[in-house]
Amino acid sequence: MTRKASPTIALFPEASFGAALNCVGIAQALRAKGARPVFICHAGFSGVFADYGFQEYQLPTDEPLSDSERQSYWQAFVRRHLPHFRLSPIDQLETYVAPTWQAIVDTAVNAEAPLRQLLARLKPDAVVLDNVIMFPAIAAAGCPWVRVVSCAETELPDAEVPPYLSGMGADDPQRAAFEARYLSASAPAHDRFNRFRVDAGLAPLPKGLFLESSPDLNLLLTPTIVRRERAEPLDPQRFVYLEGCVRSEGPFEVPVFPRNKGPLVYVAFGSLGAMDVGLIERMLAVFDRLPARFIVNVGGLRDAYRAVPDNVYLDAWFPQPSVVAKSDLFIHHGGNNSFCEALRFGVPSLIMPYCWDGHDNARRAEETGTGDHIGRDGWTEGVLERAILGLLADDAMRARLRDNAARMALQPGTDVAAQAILSLIRT
Amino acid sequence: MQAAARRPRTNHLDLAQRILDVARQRGFEPGARLPEQQIASLCNVSRTPVRAALSLLAERGVVRWQADTGYHLAVDLTAQSAISAELPAAEEDELAEAILRDRSARRLDQTVTAAGLMRRYSAERKTVLKALNKLTEENLLDRAPGQSWLFRRAPDDPEAQGESYEFRLLLEPAAILTPGFRLDGARAAALRQGMDALSALPDAAFDTREFQRLDMDFHGMIAEGCANRFVADALADHLRLRRLPGIYAGVNVFRLRQSLLEHLNILDHLESRQYEVAADLLRIHLRLSRNQRPQAASRGAPALFGMISRPE
Repeated sequence: MTRKASPTIALFPEASFGAALNCVGIAQALRAKGARPVFICHAGFSGVFADYGFQEYQLPTDEPLSDSERQSYWQAFVRRHLPHFRLSPIDQLETYVAPTWQAIVDTAVNAEAPLRQLLARLKPDAVVLDNVIMFPAIAAAGCPWVRVVSCAETELPDAEVPPYLSGMGADDPQRAAFEARYLSASAPAHDRFNRFRVDAGLAPLPKGLFLESSPDLNLLLTPTIVRRERAEPLDPQRFVYLEGCVRSEGPFEVPVFPRNKGPLVYVAFGSLGAMDVGLIERMLAVFDRLPARFIVNVGGLRDAYRAVPDNVYLDAWFPQPSVVAKSDLFIHHGGNNSFCEALRFGVPSLIMPYCWDGHDNARRAEETGTGDHIGRDGWTEGVLERAILGLLADDAMRARLRDNAARMALQPGTDVAAQAILSLIRT
Repeated sequence: MQAAARRPRTNHLDLAQRILDVARQRGFEPGARLPEQQIASLCNVSRTPVRAALSLLAERGVVRWQADTGYHLAVDLTAQSAISAELPAAEEDELAEAILRDRSARRLDQTVTAAGLMRRYSAERKTVLKALNKLTEENLLDRAPGQSWLFRRAPDDPEAQGESYEFRLLLEPAAILTPGFRLDGARAAALRQGMDALSALPDAAFDTREFQRLDMDFHGMIAEGCANRFVADALADHLRLRRLPGIYAGVNVFRLRQSLLEHLNILDHLESRQYEVAADLLRIHLRLSRNQRPQAASRGAPALFGMISRPE
């Protein structure tokens, strides 16, 4: 049996930057190995992948929002949820997690018909799904499908692994209470999703689960240094760990600062976190008095800032892997891509999570000595200052992370992913 | 080129840089003679300042003096960044750059005063005023009432970037299609050489600043080739805003490489005088260059384009 010369791999990331850019890394490696990676993208994400040289197929939607409707949606979204991001993980279950699951179910329902049509037309040799929910059209596509677990490892439940989105340790006495509240909060969306699955010809999933493991291949980003022991180990034939999955970006030239001395700290909370202008402003006041240089991703809200300190540089977008590679500390929201990039380049993480698996990665950074975390609410200037200076001064952590980064560099996750995906394809 | 020639610069550093620009545009190679009269004519100045500027370049090793034949070019001008580094910047130029850099990083508000800048940069009043005048001349600043100046809006947020591309889509193809368009052949050849050299670099060594220089020069060449002076001036003013720090941030190397190929394709058609095709290709190039990245995205939410106001 031989492999097709140039198999078509359809990558379908969810409409978030983490999954999208993670898949760009895999697609770059697939292209380097002679495959033809193409992207299926949600409305609004077309153009993102073309800029990296990949063909895109946008899923048509019945009721596309106008630009002004999208802006209204986001104004309302931010007004509603910014206060929720200051709550504990358990208190976010009803306020943020439950409505988000409802919205995610909507995306799956709306995408189903156009996705079936598109896959029938594309006839890919494999589909790579980087999402937190299943699309029945993928199971019916007639080719192998790959699940990318680009969230924290907690997305795959296990008795020895803390509950997904909890930010807990594995043996936390409140574990059962969290799990019960999670199941209760997600039940309405889950019931609706299961009815949709059955209608679409798929078996319902157990409570709390929205995405099954692929029978063909499942890729986990989790690097060894933060990996957990499982009560039921994952089958290595179907579950492949990637040691991160970092895309290749162009070089980054560190800007000149008026106060141009000290270690370099990169701050990025993702596009959603960048909307928390009040929090970033409070942080800038602390940065102003620290002997370091700070590069801060503020998304499209640069004009919201005034009198930015001389050791701070703001911009709307950075080639993040290239910036992290030159940084001494990475302050982020615990997004799994950010955490993996920090580990890949041997940089300590200071995690300030606001939702989802950011809580899980924040806890894991502390547990594994790969960084530290502080809550978004209740921190004082002294707490933030001590956390930053403490991590910058921790030579032992830095040396350990550097050794680990060298090991991760030996086997790039993007290559491992591409190889594993291509191994599924035979003619 | 005409637009710049209409506003000759006076200080020797500016003129030295101008001589290098002209030599590059004309495709001068190392060893080429630089007759004072020809340089003076090309730069639209008298011979006296040219002599001083050439002397400055000779001190830096960029040109060489020979008693019998005069000044000769001593370096390869396609290595632009290296040459720029050879030239010291005047105090007011350095200050102007610092002002732009600090505005881009929002260390300075949209309105600045001379007194405020003197304090911030520990600079003398005359230096600050020279820097402000330079930026005002370049249409980056406007004089406001009292001793204050107002930064013009730069295409550095999604909304302004969109407007900038719409403006360029209207005028840049029109610049080519207006009867009388004239391509500066030597400048086109130097640009082609620079773009080929940059394309040959591996991703890890790709020089974004060199891309910015070539991009500015390419689009500037089209603007300046336009026979309609008002179109040329409007474009030159607008393209100058793209020189500001941070404008090119966030574009990935793949797209920049594509952009170079598109430039070369347009150049092919300009050189063969297929102006309608060149204008169409330029339109496509501008559309492809417009950043499509959403401003915000989150699980289950529709991606956001355009601006969102500061959340309270």
